[in-house]
Amino acid sequence: MDDKQITIWLTLLGMALATYATRVITMLALRGEIAPWLQRWLGYVPIAVFTALILPPLLLPASGGARALAIGPALPAGAVGALVAWRSGNVLLTIIAGLAAFWLLRWLGF
Amino acid sequence: MSMATDQQPAARQAEPARERLSGAEFRAGFIATLPLWLGVAPFGAIYAVSALAAGLSPAQTLAMSLFVFAGASQFTAAGLFAAGAAPAAIVITTLVINARHALLAASVAPFVRRAGPGTKALLAFQLTDESFAIGMRRWLTGDGSLGYQFGSNVSLYVIWQASTVAGMLLGALIPDPATYGLDLVFPLTFIGLLVPLLKTRVSNLVALLAAGLTIAGALLLPGSWYILLAGLAASGAGALLTRGRQPAGPPSDAA
Repeated sequence: MDDKQITIWLTLLGMALATYATRVITMLALRGEIAPWLQRWLGYVPIAVFTALILPPLLLPASGGARALAIGPALPAGAVGALVAWRSGNVLLTIIAGLAAFWLLRWLGF
Repeated sequence: MSMATDQQPAARQAEPARERLSGAEFRAGFIATLPLWLGVAPFGAIYAVSALAAGLSPAQTLAMSLFVFAGASQFTAAGLFAAGAAPAAIVITTLVINARHALLAASVAPFVRRAGPGTKALLAFQLTDESFAIGMRRWLTGDGSLGYQFGSNVSLYVIWQASTVAGMLLGALIPDPATYGLDLVFPLTFIGLLVPLLKTRVSNLVALLAAGLTIAGALLLPGSWYILLAGLAASGAGALLTRGRQPAGPPSDAA
């Protein structure tokens, strides 16, 4: 293996360790009862985190590292997905409807 | 050093959830996660295509799926490898993107606190946003179990590896997945997981605030810090807005 390959493998090792740390530390550290205020806080974490994962691919595409607002077919496709998710509560239907909307918009020339 | 949890019926009664690893529960969790496969599979395949295009070898591409097992950060890392980013920058970015796991794991922790450290360490290895969401629906209704959470975790792990391999094999056929909108599968999956959680005024407010912080943070902060900013601050606001209420868990518990 040349140096470049070794560097890649070491980078992957670092990524794996860093990611495992994010998963295991709080799970092992939090024992016993959790204070009510912390429970309420953690209860809202999924809503906040999921929102943060959803929006950038829809309206903040990254180009060369920096992100900029850009309204394209992805945003209305996401809105269609949200509508379907709201009516059906079904992840599968949400994905299919969102992709269909995207393809339709693309076909229409957006 | 793990406590023999199963031999204390009295202690178990006080538990919010069952702790025994039952095969039936494992299967139930595994099966309940199958609908997410359709969302995860293209995502895993696209990851593999991007990673190979970024210059990783097939072994390295698969190793990242096996040992990192975190989609958003794997995608980002592929982009960074392609851009020739420094190893330290790639590792730190991974840490920032995945730091949200610490919050998710913290919300599972109270439900598994009687499990031994080895069991918890194993459970943590495969905890993802998706399997967390699946498991949480059960934990919050009192029906959760270690077996169910493990089943959901393993289910996603299996499809992630399979789709990574499929992507490596099919990669040559789909040169630019974004043209087909396949990169939208990721946000659409999370829309499907998020929207059913928005059932109360406060949860809507939390999502709105998170949206504002995400947009501002993504535009103004470097890298992926916006995930932590929105994840911590918007949920904290939700906790403040519900001061004095019973912490019945998130007002979620979708269908």
